[in-house]
Amino acid sequence: MSRVLTSAFSTFFVLLQVDPRQIVEEAQRRTTTQSQRYEGTLRVIDARNKVTEKRWQYDRIGSHGSSKAVLRFTAPPEVKGVALLVLNHPDRSSDQWMWTPALNRDRRIALQDRSTRFFGTDFSFEDLEERDTNQFDFKLLGEESLDSAVCWKVQSTPRQAKVSQYTHSYLWIRKDNYAFAQIENYDKDHLVRRAHYSDIRNDQGIWTAHQIDMHDLRRNSHTILTIEKLQYNVPMNGDAFTREALSRES
Amino acid sequence: MMLFRLLSWPYLRRHLVRWILTVAGIVLGVGVFVAMHTANRSIFSAFDRTVDQIAGSTQLQVSAGEFGFDESVLERVQSVREVGIAVPVIEATVDTNIPGQGSILILGIDMTGDRNLRDYELKDADEAIMDDPLVFLAQPDSLMVTQEFAGRNNLTVNSKIPLSTIEGIQQFTVRGIMSSTGMTRAFGGNFAVMDIYAAQQVLGRGRRFDRIDVRAKDGITIDECQAALKATLGPSFDVDPPSARGRHFEALLQSYSTAMMISSLFALMVGMFIIYNSFAIAVTHRRAEIGILRALGATRGQIQRLFLLESIVAGTLGSVVGAVVGIAAALGIARWISRVLETAGGVAQRVSELQVDASLIALAIVAGTGTSVLAAWIPARNAARVDPVQALQKGKYQVLSVGENRRRRWIALAAFLIASVCLFFSYSKPFFYTGYVLMIGAGLLLAPALTLLLSKTLRPILKRILPAEGTLAADSLVEAPRRTSATVSALMLSLAMVVGFGGFAHSFYSSIQEWMDNALNPDFFVAPSENLATRSLTFPAEISSVIERVDGVDQVQVVRDARVTYHDVPVMVISIETEKVASTVHRTPVAGSLEEMNRLTAEGKGLFVSESFATNLKTKMGDVVELPTPSGLLKLPIVGIIRDYSDLRGSLFIDRSVYRDWWKDDTANIARVYVKKGENVEAVRQRVINTLSSQYRLLVLTNREVRDWIMKLLDQWFAMTYNQIVVAVLVAVLGIVNTLTVSITDRKRELGVMQAVGGLRKQIRWTVWIEALTIGVIGLILGTCLGAVNLYYTLGMIKRDLGGIGLDYIFPSAFMILMVPIILGAAWIAALGPAEAAVRGSLVEALEYE
Amino acid sequence: MISLTHVSKIFDGKRKATALENIDLHIEKGNVVSIMGPSGSGKSTLLNLIGGLDRPSSGDIRVDGENLSELSDDDRTRVRRDKIGFVFQFFNLLPTLNSLENVALPLHLRKWPRKKIEDRAKELLNLVQLDHRLEHLPDELSGGERQRVAIARALSVYPPILLADEPTGNLDTATGREILKLIDDLHSRLGSTVLIVTHDLEVAERCSRTVALRDGRIVEDRRR
Repeated sequence: MSRVLTSAFSTFFVLLQVDPRQIVEEAQRRTTTQSQRYEGTLRVIDARNKVTEKRWQYDRIGSHGSSKAVLRFTAPPEVKGVALLVLNHPDRSSDQWMWTPALNRDRRIALQDRSTRFFGTDFSFEDLEERDTNQFDFKLLGEESLDSAVCWKVQSTPRQAKVSQYTHSYLWIRKDNYAFAQIENYDKDHLVRRAHYSDIRNDQGIWTAHQIDMHDLRRNSHTILTIEKLQYNVPMNGDAFTREALSRES
Repeated sequence: MMLFRLLSWPYLRRHLVRWILTVAGIVLGVGVFVAMHTANRSIFSAFDRTVDQIAGSTQLQVSAGEFGFDESVLERVQSVREVGIAVPVIEATVDTNIPGQGSILILGIDMTGDRNLRDYELKDADEAIMDDPLVFLAQPDSLMVTQEFAGRNNLTVNSKIPLSTIEGIQQFTVRGIMSSTGMTRAFGGNFAVMDIYAAQQVLGRGRRFDRIDVRAKDGITIDECQAALKATLGPSFDVDPPSARGRHFEALLQSYSTAMMISSLFALMVGMFIIYNSFAIAVTHRRAEIGILRALGATRGQIQRLFLLESIVAGTLGSVVGAVVGIAAALGIARWISRVLETAGGVAQRVSELQVDASLIALAIVAGTGTSVLAAWIPARNAARVDPVQALQKGKYQVLSVGENRRRRWIALAAFLIASVCLFFSYSKPFFYTGYVLMIGAGLLLAPALTLLLSKTLRPILKRILPAEGTLAADSLVEAPRRTSATVSALMLSLAMVVGFGGFAHSFYSSIQEWMDNALNPDFFVAPSENLATRSLTFPAEISSVIERVDGVDQVQVVRDARVTYHDVPVMVISIETEKVASTVHRTPVAGSLEEMNRLTAEGKGLFVSESFATNLKTKMGDVVELPTPSGLLKLPIVGIIRDYSDLRGSLFIDRSVYRDWWKDDTANIARVYVKKGENVEAVRQRVINTLSSQYRLLVLTNREVRDWIMKLLDQWFAMTYNQIVVAVLVAVLGIVNTLTVSITDRKRELGVMQAVGGLRKQIRWTVWIEALTIGVIGLILGTCLGAVNLYYTLGMIKRDLGGIGLDYIFPSAFMILMVPIILGAAWIAALGPAEAAVRGSLVEALEYE
Repeated sequence: MISLTHVSKIFDGKRKATALENIDLHIEKGNVVSIMGPSGSGKSTLLNLIGGLDRPSSGDIRVDGENLSELSDDDRTRVRRDKIGFVFQFFNLLPTLNSLENVALPLHLRKWPRKKIEDRAKELLNLVQLDHRLEHLPDELSGGERQRVAIARALSVYPPILLADEPTGNLDTATGREILKLIDDLHSRLGSTVLIVTHDLEVAERCSRTVALRDGRIVEDRRR
């Protein structure tokens, strides 16, 4: 889960004037922190304008490839107490466990196919993945203005087709603060998903989008993630990020 | 063909009723055959389809019998390099408690990974109603049902469904409705998906899975993946494609369908005699016509062909009607059988559509027509042999020639002798069945001679009782053996079948009774379901001590049983607390000594098996049985063989400690409870119910309830057999009607004379009735004799090839005594119509009749 | 003894056929009457009506005071069994019964006691001179013997009326004469009323009265 946010606040692509890879890597460097905490609201607006809302409390320790995160749902009542533990690894896929208080047990979440939707939202598991920049080729397409900010427009293409459900993506990265403004994901010629980052504020020196709007164009459904009470570098105990802790604190 | 239209058609039309009766034999035979087979096929295919539909794109399934296995196996499977996707599955049928809906097939799966194998949604997003996957996972009462099921029961998202679970009837919430895909049609649409961890809880699985569905990694063949899995998991696990599950199911149904097959053959054979009878009569009646034809230049071949053509027409007509009737009845039968299987075997399938197999129908029609032609063969040949000069003379009967009779007797004797010799070699399958066929054949060949003999024997008796009517009736039988003996043969055959099945049922019931008295002697049973065959619900073993602490309880014995595949045969492994059971159950082993058997089993140094297991798997005392378990191959010698009917295909008894160690499972599915001496059983039962109800929703069944349940099951199992018996008797009774109809035509003049010389209507009726009753009596006598033989072979066949159950030969005397009024009553009813026809006709015409 | 008034018999079929038309006939007790006529003249029909084997279409038939037209089937049978003996052209013996049994049949149907039946049957077969053929089946007898058995059967209850339909029709002349002589003998001995249907003039001439039929009407009624 942490990956949604990682990609939201900074990400993995640093950008240089000339070299698009350096632009993406610089963006990632600028968002590196000790820990993070916030309260998130996830609103799914489907094609028929039906809205479902969930809220969670998010804690993360470490940053990028070696981070650990716990995400605990607080609303609605049916999912209250459900928690997700994510252990990221720099060299392989993360391990994820889910705690369901009603069953009084945790379960390992098998992520055998990353193209499936993340619990009924418009994010796919892949969209939340943290990817090594070495797996992609980058190409600078030029500069574009978005939400009255000048952005680099970078195309990213996976080196191996198997790595991603998308054939390529376009990234918009703001020139002024290296924050992501928008990502468009394509399957061949079709635009599949578009993530739009807005309400970008400077929190403790880190430019962070407080709202991400993920639009699934095939389903014509939106998911809007809103971030509140954001704090960086809060002191946290590593013991809280284990399977045992998951059940203890429910 | 010309001849046919000119001659046969008018004859057929004139004797329409009789021909309808004749064809009815074929209709019934073919009908039963088609109905049974179509039903069987439909059940198979329903099962296969269900398996197929819920398998999705699963290529291999890892299973370990019905016991399932620990969750940790999943990681072992996932770690195999060749495996692409591996997801755990729990599958069970549970009662919906919705009137008319019966049970629902629950598939417990891991929603986070399973979509790669199974398609739960349609591509069209609007149709896929899955309210919230997170809620689905977070709430253990979540259920995703099919659109069909939702439509049938007016369910929408957030509707509640009451399901029977290990915790009693629980309300489940519909959190998703699957659009129509292949999978949602499984089990006739009564299908629901549940989160696997929730399923573990509500179905009492503990931390175990039933199986793991696997798809090979891209670029790896199924065979490579299967080999790799087998190598990693060892012999304790079965790694098979989903289609293999059908095999086990087929094995389960096999004995049932074989029994059905045999009875449909009997029905067809009975039909054959009726047809033979009709044709023999027709040939006799139409002798003059044949004589004229021959005089006019028709060749023998033409005459023979004419009659054969008639038989083809009658046979085809009867077969087609029979096939239609059979198909019409098949769905009902299929539903019936599948219900029986569900109760008896706990196997999930739901027959919603018939699997009509064109080649089967064709086969049935060919068989029906063939039977008809075969039956008409001898009469047609006789017709061809009619001497035109003799035929044109009035008033001559063609009587069964002495030579023919003698030849038959010799063949019968030879058949009987060979069959007797075969008895000595009956351990060999070909000898056994040759003997069976020859014995029945000998009986059939002897039937005419015996009929004659019995008629002659009965004549003086009848003469004493009713001098005029009785004598004439007996004479009618004596004089026309052709007319009578085929009907008697038909009756004899169907009664032999009645005795065979009745005797089998009788022996079976009494063996079961004995077994229940011996083995099922606890005061009450604790089980998660009324259906004791349901093994998909289990409970933790600590319940044993909970119950034992209840005041008045003497002893609790927990049992865990499940079906495993042993040498490709599904058998039942039953783990018992041997020492405890030995203290309460005393049964005489078929082989081995009781004490030794109990001691070695309790020590985990051996196991004992049911007689059916020993027969079916050709094992004997001392043989080492290698059972696949999650911890490897369990090798134990057979230290005893007992008669046990827990499972019809064979049971293995091991000690609970062995089960716990090797299967790593501490659950149970039945607890046997004994009450302390002097305690009021009902009061103790109430206390147990009160104790359990706070924690578990387990049923506490009285000894009587359990016995009744078993008896109900048996009754269901035998009900279909009884129907077939009724059909066979019905066909035979139709034969009586046929014979009498012809008899009164033949004896029109005789009956006229009787009236002319002062016989009252009542007396005429009596002659006809007595004739019918005499046929009935002779049929009963011969049927009883042949039945006694048939029962011997039936029991042998059951022991040998149909389940391996050893049953004592008990002649069903009471049953046969019951058959006497039934058969005589049926014969009398069959005589009513012909008798009325006999008195109604014009006397003047009758006297001039020739 | 026998009296027919305005008796007609019409056979309903595809083609209506009038077998008898307005017959009036009275036969006194003890008479021997022959009925003559060509084939289809209605003589057998007349005999069947008198014997109660058939019902007239109209008119009354009285036999020994009983009006047959008013009786039910079974009551007619009762009249027949008590008062009438039948002799047929084709004998109509039951092929499966021996001579004794054939003669005994009507007595059995009347539920006579066994002993009495056997005595009577033997007596009658004695009377028709067949005491040496008691156990023989009809097939084993000659035509004349068969007819004698048939006569013995007809007389088994000593009926007041004997009806014979062409009793000699199926026999050679010599045997025919024998049979007629037997009937004569029996008549004189038992005093029965005898009605013989025949188209044999020789037979007719031996009778005291001859009724001739043609196309269903009485064309001649001659007494000798």
